[in-house]
Amino acid sequence: MGPLIPLEIITGHWDFVIALLIGGAFGYILEASGFSSSRMIAGVFYGYNFVVLRVFFTAMIVAMVGYLYFSYMGWIDMSLVFVLPTYLNSMLFGGFLMGLGFVIGGFCPGTSYTAAAIGKIDGVVFAGGVLLGIFIFSELFPFYEDFYVANNLGNVTIGEMIGVSNEVVAFAFVVIAIVAFYVTSIIEKKVRKNMTEYKFE
Amino acid sequence: MNTKLSSKRKPNYINPYFGGVLLGLLLLTIFYVAGRGLSATGGLKLIVVTLVDKIAPEHAENNAYYRMFLPKDGSSPLSNWLVFGALGTFFGGMLSGAISGRLGKLRIEKSPKISNTTRLIAAGVGGILFGIGSQFGRGCSSGAALSGTSAFSFGGLIIMALMFGVGYVFAYFFRKLWI
Amino acid sequence: MNKKYLFLALLMLLLATGLLILPERHNFQQMKAENLMWEVVQPTRYVTVDQVAMMIIDGDPTLELVDVRPINDFATFSLKNAINIPFDSLLNPNYQGYLGIEDMNVVFYSNDDIRADQSWVIARRMGYHNLYVMKGGLNSWIECIIKPLKPDETASLNEFEDYEFRKGASIYFTGAKLESSDKKSSVNVVRRKKGSAVAGGC
Repeated sequence: MGPLIPLEIITGHWDFVIALLIGGAFGYILEASGFSSSRMIAGVFYGYNFVVLRVFFTAMIVAMVGYLYFSYMGWIDMSLVFVLPTYLNSMLFGGFLMGLGFVIGGFCPGTSYTAAAIGKIDGVVFAGGVLLGIFIFSELFPFYEDFYVANNLGNVTIGEMIGVSNEVVAFAFVVIAIVAFYVTSIIEKKVRKNMTEYKFE
Repeated sequence: MNTKLSSKRKPNYINPYFGGVLLGLLLLTIFYVAGRGLSATGGLKLIVVTLVDKIAPEHAENNAYYRMFLPKDGSSPLSNWLVFGALGTFFGGMLSGAISGRLGKLRIEKSPKISNTTRLIAAGVGGILFGIGSQFGRGCSSGAALSGTSAFSFGGLIIMALMFGVGYVFAYFFRKLWI
Repeated sequence: MNKKYLFLALLMLLLATGLLILPERHNFQQMKAENLMWEVVQPTRYVTVDQVAMMIIDGDPTLELVDVRPINDFATFSLKNAINIPFDSLLNPNYQGYLGIEDMNVVFYSNDDIRADQSWVIARRMGYHNLYVMKGGLNSWIECIIKPLKPDETASLNEFEDYEFRKGASIYFTGAKLESSDKKSSVNVVRRKKGSAVAGGC
């Protein structure tokens, strides 16, 4: 029965070892899928490479469906798994900034680590930027302390928000993902035909 | 410092769907083991907190945000799951790069239309925006968008939708950086 | 290539459809006896009166003291900021709002351990988390915190440290005058060193 650490089945400093291993697997998968290349990632915005969408959505639907089956089998207690709380105002703003940072910088923090790890200076600079960004945010925190916690909806799930069960949400995501995979593969083919200068790295 | 060097050899990335399934199973594993999702920015945040606390302890104590992440018993914020996870991500990436021959000398990847400096400035600015945004959003693309949405968090979905949506809206203005 | 993907897409759809048609099942409404057994024997579910006193003095915002004695007893004497959920009202829906508040550590107490312990099991069975029992209950509270006994001259240093803390705490809670033999002139709560757990040592 899981989750193991919140139920204190695994305790002590073992969780750090597990964190290291899981982080390692995460980095390995990101790099092996090509996320250490910013031009490859940015391709999702220009239609020449949808690898981000493929990896991201596949991971999401596999995790969602698997998670619900785990819960159904009684292997994991969903009430103990962390559901990110929704602070509407702050999250809308944060999502906006991250979208902008994504298209300008071409990485997200996780992928910038892997890029830095294989020797890409832009990856190092991006990670440094994230560090600086967090510092700036913290220093100016008193100015938007109220905004940061405004409109707190609590640990609300997608299903609760729109009034359906999580099973339906997962099903909808699977359908959307499969349609998206198909459509983007057609777009990708068309865009690549017209692109001559981009060498697939 | 040349993109041509690395683009000559065709990179042998794994099939993206296969990568996706692996990542999905990893997410499932971390839900099962730790009851939470993956995170990338959390580690950096704790590094910032530690640095500020080391350099100006009083300042850190007076700032409500730093105080949130300083352990009450006075131990180091760095002995935390998130830091080890971020460290693991770095070495995991290095391992994969080494196995498939992408681990190389220092280089900058960019569109041929822009200079190295432009690319680095863009990367830095993007990083800063991402850093600030991740704090407002309570997680970055891995923590909020991927893990959050997979655990059916409504906030995670918002972050994911906005991140890609805003990216598409502004993509036109920054196309020179990439194509 | 395309056929493979078609197969995978269908597989994924099938799995997702499976979720929709599976009959509902509630795995975690009831706690398994083995799990409850395992948790009951964990010593970590107890807190000592010293720990509670320390948390009250520190104004720990996560502490939620729950008095499970009858209302009359609660009215006569209770710990600072405690709320009263009489044992027989534990299942009453009106009181459920007090349990299961995020980040709050609920500490049950009664005159001794027994009622509090029973409350712990019932509440745990209802699915609440972060529940604790104050070891020894109010009897122990009076004995240790309100009227601490000076340890023997031969007692260990730890016991003296405990005594110092308890004396300070006693003054804090009762507002009692300092003993004349005591040189300290102000209320001084001596903090017990971490880890020197003399749980139930009194």
